Amino acid sequence: MRRGSLSTCGAGTAGLLLCLTATALAQQPVDWPRESPPPPLPWRQATFPPYEIRTLDNGLQVVVVMHHEQPAVNLRLIIGAGSAYDPAGKNGVAAFTGALLDQGTTGRTATEIADAIDSIGGILDVGAGTDLSFVNVLVMTDSFEFGLDLVAESARNPSFERAELERQRQQVLSGFQVSLDDPEYLASVVLSRLLYGFHPYGMPSNGTPESVRQITRDDLLAFHAEHYAPNNALLAIVGDIDAESAFAAAERAFGGWTPRTSAAEPPAGRIPEPTRRVVVIDKPGSLQTAIRVGHIALSRTSPDYLPFDVAIKILGGEGGNRLGSVLRTERALTYSASAEISSGRYGGDFIGKTDTRTEATVEALRLMVGEVGRLRRERVSRRELENARAYLAGNFPLTIETPNAIAAQVLESLVYGLDLDDLPTYPNRINAVTVEDIRRVARTYLRPDRLAIVLVGEARVFVNDLRRAGFGDVEVLSVGELDLSSPDLRR
Amino acid sequence: MAGLLAVSPALDGAVRPTKLDYELHTLDNGLTVILSEDHSTPIVHLQMVYHVGSKNERPGRTGFAHLFEHMMFKGSQNVASDSHLTLISRVGGDGNAYTTEDTTTFLQTVPSSYLPLVLWLEADRMATLRIDEQTFEAERQVVQEERRWRYEDSPFGLLSEIMYDHAYAVHPYKHSVIGSMADLEAASVEDVQAFFDTYYVPENATLVLVGDFDAAQALAHIRLYFGRVPKAKRPVPRDIPREPLPTSERRVTLTQSENWPLPAVIVAHHITYDGHPDAYPLHIAAKVLSDGQSSRIYRRLVYEDQLAVSAFGDRLLIEDPNLFYAVSIVQPGRTPAESEAALIEELDRLKTDFISDRELQQAKNQFARDYVFGRATIEQKASHLSHAAVIHDDVSTVDAEFDIFMNVTREDVRRVARTYFTPENRLTLTILPAPPAGRSFLRPGDDQ
Repeated sequence: MRRGSLSTCGAGTAGLLLCLTATALAQQPVDWPRESPPPPLPWRQATFPPYEIRTLDNGLQVVVVMHHEQPAVNLRLIIGAGSAYDPAGKNGVAAFTGALLDQGTTGRTATEIADAIDSIGGILDVGAGTDLSFVNVLVMTDSFEFGLDLVAESARNPSFERAELERQRQQVLSGFQVSLDDPEYLASVVLSRLLYGFHPYGMPSNGTPESVRQITRDDLLAFHAEHYAPNNALLAIVGDIDAESAFAAAERAFGGWTPRTSAAEPPAGRIPEPTRRVVVIDKPGSLQTAIRVGHIALSRTSPDYLPFDVAIKILGGEGGNRLGSVLRTERALTYSASAEISSGRYGGDFIGKTDTRTEATVEALRLMVGEVGRLRRERVSRRELENARAYLAGNFPLTIETPNAIAAQVLESLVYGLDLDDLPTYPNRINAVTVEDIRRVARTYLRPDRLAIVLVGEARVFVNDLRRAGFGDVEVLSVGELDLSSPDLRR
Repeated sequence: MAGLLAVSPALDGAVRPTKLDYELHTLDNGLTVILSEDHSTPIVHLQMVYHVGSKNERPGRTGFAHLFEHMMFKGSQNVASDSHLTLISRVGGDGNAYTTEDTTTFLQTVPSSYLPLVLWLEADRMATLRIDEQTFEAERQVVQEERRWRYEDSPFGLLSEIMYDHAYAVHPYKHSVIGSMADLEAASVEDVQAFFDTYYVPENATLVLVGDFDAAQALAHIRLYFGRVPKAKRPVPRDIPREPLPTSERRVTLTQSENWPLPAVIVAHHITYDGHPDAYPLHIAAKVLSDGQSSRIYRRLVYEDQLAVSAFGDRLLIEDPNLFYAVSIVQPGRTPAESEAALIEELDRLKTDFISDRELQQAKNQFARDYVFGRATIEQKASHLSHAAVIHDDVSTVDAEFDIFMNVTREDVRRVARTYFTPENRLTLTILPAPPAGRSFLRPGDDQ
């Protein structure tokens, strides 16, 4: 009669604690069975949904993924150049070029474009990342041709009006004022700079306050002329449309786009070897420290990409996450601790990240660096690898649920020149990864002694402990001193 | 593909989205069950919504519903602490949970053959959650880290908390879902148990399944695992204090010392609850003001006059009456007063003039788009079903609201603007950054 004992609890303070214990013990209904999880139902195989690819005469690759559940179509044009191709000292040119694609074309003003897309309830999204620039349009099926024309017009004929450039410049410069107060932004841009040095991957896609002031209309015209070409682009047409209509429409909207005659040179700049460097960005008043560690790893096309991805997921991703177990579950130091790889055309990295209360900074950092070391030093257990594989392989049907998710996988393969036949075999390839594979890639790519470390927080609380903890030369600078274009990061 | 021939698309009427098919059941213990088969991919989504959120919290215990959400991962009779998500990920599934003002939702998507596993897991913790001092203390610290990270150390992270604190007097919408640091500190394991016993009962829960399953077979599994969860001993309390209508305009200016890089202006009005007839024209008004670059507030404050780095008008339409708020993050070199005047002028325009037919049709087209693209995944479909069932107490609104929106008129929009956007119902809040005085920068070698 454990439940009955609850009602005998009196009011006295001394009795309260005992009472609580009794409550904790008494909560479970007596008749709840002790049992193991139930067995699964028969397995249902997920198959990679069909898609079609054709190449127009001018080199534009067109991917069509059909999906008729809802009366809508998603259009995605990808240009094979982003901030990696920013001219030296002009970081932000790709981002400005991308951002201005919908701010006026030779046929329509920015206002007219906004009116047109909004009036049909569509969405137009433009911009640039590191390796790519993009124009995305969402429309209902009955506006498909309109949407496709708008994609073509934005990508092919932007006018880069001076007034729009200045408006954009003002927005970006004001945005920096907010970003420079954001520990996530600061930690991320400083770490990228440490990882990639003066290679364009090392500078923020949006540029810096200094570089953004240098950008001219001619820079945008030059970037557009060099990179925006059908033989440097991919178009995905996704949703409630049949393939023949989609290809015919693509030919109509893009067939007259002139290809470029030569491919752009790869970006200048060398990605440096990993070097231990510890940078603290002092942000007085912070309650937490943003902790980021990482170094250069491998490019997206490396044959080791898959096993290394599994290794890093064991360190800090879904299906594994040693960092989460240690920093959150065991030590309650953080809401989130994770690790991920990020790989582009010209190189890639892995990073570990967490945010912890200021006074726990050094403890959290040591644990994090320790886990990177352990992954390199010790063989992962068979069970841990099996769990990670089970998640990644088992998760495959969840990754092909929507036509957009399917298109994203096809586009990624095309962008990086990967084998499309690998897409449906992902679960098999994951299940083929062995403990030895993990050991090999961990030893090849992880360099715990050469991790770049960035801490953004209230420096005075932890900097001395950091030095005492053996993190060597610690560079401390204020947000106001930060200059990413300088070798010592200071203006 | 007749639509391909349309020359001037969608200006005469929005596309009609596909309806959801579902069935509704109630178990003897009061658990609501909604089943919607969707066999397009061999996966299934389970969503368990408990009708308890931050508005059920007592003063001095803010943040508790969310803290409790974390406790639901700390083990039950047949599940070890922190292994709920491991059991899900080991079969390739994804799981998560979130807490709002009105509800606490637990979700998982798994390959469809693992439907019995997720049902079993949810039932085990509903019936036998294990609560102990040690895990509670650890989880309290985790939530405190979450508060620091999400809100306190992030630029403008406290904007919403400040706004609600000033806008409300007694209704618990006054406090944020994450709660205050002091209250998180004060919560006891006794509170955890009482909260569980009161709110985590079948009659306060709605189980939604969407995906690749056979409804009859799924229902049999549901009866097996949830049928044995005992019925609640007492009814779930619904004694939430009502907010009195404000009687005079309020203007507040304050300064934030950290993480407030630019001045912000907020113009907020109390409105109605989700499902009230006025709610639909208010949604339309928000779209006219702020959906897309052609919307009124964006075009005026951001694009044309460049008064703001970012500006928008939005509504929170949830279970109890909430707010319609317009926000401007002031462009350097411009004044908060200019933003305030422009925001109020745009709200007033909705009272004096009808929106144009084109704006009305545009807003409806945008609504139809949200409707379609907001139902792309089985998780999204389940969220719409659970929202209709829990917040509207009528699952049929999941599709029926579409027609209500399509029938909103210009007159309706002007009427609700006149009802709610009145000076006496207005809170104007100006939040300024601290002056950049004498911040000391640490240098290497400084003594500390």
